[in-house]
Amino acid sequence: MPQLNPEFFASQLFWLVITFVFLFIFLWRVSLPRINSVQTKRENKIKEDIKKAKQLQAEAEDIQEQINKQLDQAKSDSAELIKSAFVKLQDESSKKLEELDKSLSTKIDATYEAIEKNKTESMNQIYEQINDITKLMISKISNIQVNEGEIKMAVEKIRQKVIH
Amino acid sequence: MASSGEHSGHEKHSPLDQFEINPLVNFEVGGVDLAFTNSSVSMVITVLFITLFLTLTVNPRSIVPSRMQLISELCYNFIAQLLNDTVGDQGKRYFPFVFSLFMFVLIGNMVGMIPYQFTFTSHIIVTFALATVVFIGVTILGFVNHGIRFFTFFYIPGVPFYMHPLLIPIEVISYLSRPISLSVRLFANMLAGHTLLKVFAGFVVSMPFFTGVLPLTFIVALTGLEILIAFLQAYVFAILTCLYINDAYHLH
Repeated sequence: MPQLNPEFFASQLFWLVITFVFLFIFLWRVSLPRINSVQTKRENKIKEDIKKAKQLQAEAEDIQEQINKQLDQAKSDSAELIKSAFVKLQDESSKKLEELDKSLSTKIDATYEAIEKNKTESMNQIYEQINDITKLMISKISNIQVNEGEIKMAVEKIRQKVIH
Repeated sequence: MASSGEHSGHEKHSPLDQFEINPLVNFEVGGVDLAFTNSSVSMVITVLFITLFLTLTVNPRSIVPSRMQLISELCYNFIAQLLNDTVGDQGKRYFPFVFSLFMFVLIGNMVGMIPYQFTFTSHIIVTFALATVVFIGVTILGFVNHGIRFFTFFYIPGVPFYMHPLLIPIEVISYLSRPISLSVRLFANMLAGHTLLKVFAGFVVSMPFFTGVLPLTFIVALTGLEILIAFLQAYVFAILTCLYINDAYHLH
């Protein structure tokens, strides 16, 4: 087995030491610090970016809050406006209704009065007619002379009786 | 796989030929042969690949990494995570060493999977040297951290007193055999895998065409398995190193 032949042991060890020591020193002094610096740089960059992102997020949240606040304000404002407009309209309409009521009732009253007046007038006329008819009938049926005052009183009496 | 069995099935080829070391440039220092061999070529390729890959793919100014840079960072994070999980905060100091060890073994194994490339991790002397460095380093670390109290590492609390004469030698032996188990595990896995591939490759050549297809499919499947093992063994090497470092900090 060539592995157990000590002929080249010294040479193998010699070249192993040279190559491995070179590799070790090169990696230790050059390659590994480079990789390490790249990674720390990247880590720092990531940390910075995360920090920035968090800051931006906080700002965005602030803005969002402000928007919400304004939105709420606008909502309550509009609700108030609607409410006040509604109340105003209600007031106006009730006022107008009242006015209408008043004017209608005055008109009704006037009409009522006119009717009443007409009624009494026509009643008076009817009484007069009754009196006249009564006087005519009495004069035609009998010769009794009755004066107008008596007839009026009699008719009045009968009327009272009829009504009561 | 320096010498291949592509000529004919009649020529005698050992599956172990691929582990033969061939000197390419000879030179001696003080009578010691330090020839630049095919094994050294693989080591140099491995180191060059790792250093160039980790240097060229990582752009220090890029916040968003490219795909290749992601691979480098993945390796970095993988070992950093491993060390952090097993040792904790104190482990950060040993990160360059564990990372170098992991990458060296991993890419060494992977380079070995390229046909005609030598696998230096299949040589016990290489893996034993790496494991010994870990063992000695961890032992020194243990004594630096705990002084003479490091010996209490071999004393298991909560065991009946009459068991200690048996348990303490066992603990000492298991501690001392760490470099052997660590190095033999990697060496044996690489040796077995590559030998198996070579044996099946020999079947492809020596068998008639129709039956030769079967070993070929086996080779394809085994290559996938070997790549998995290449990663797994590098990972095991790294995680055991981490665990040993952890032991040096936290005794029982």
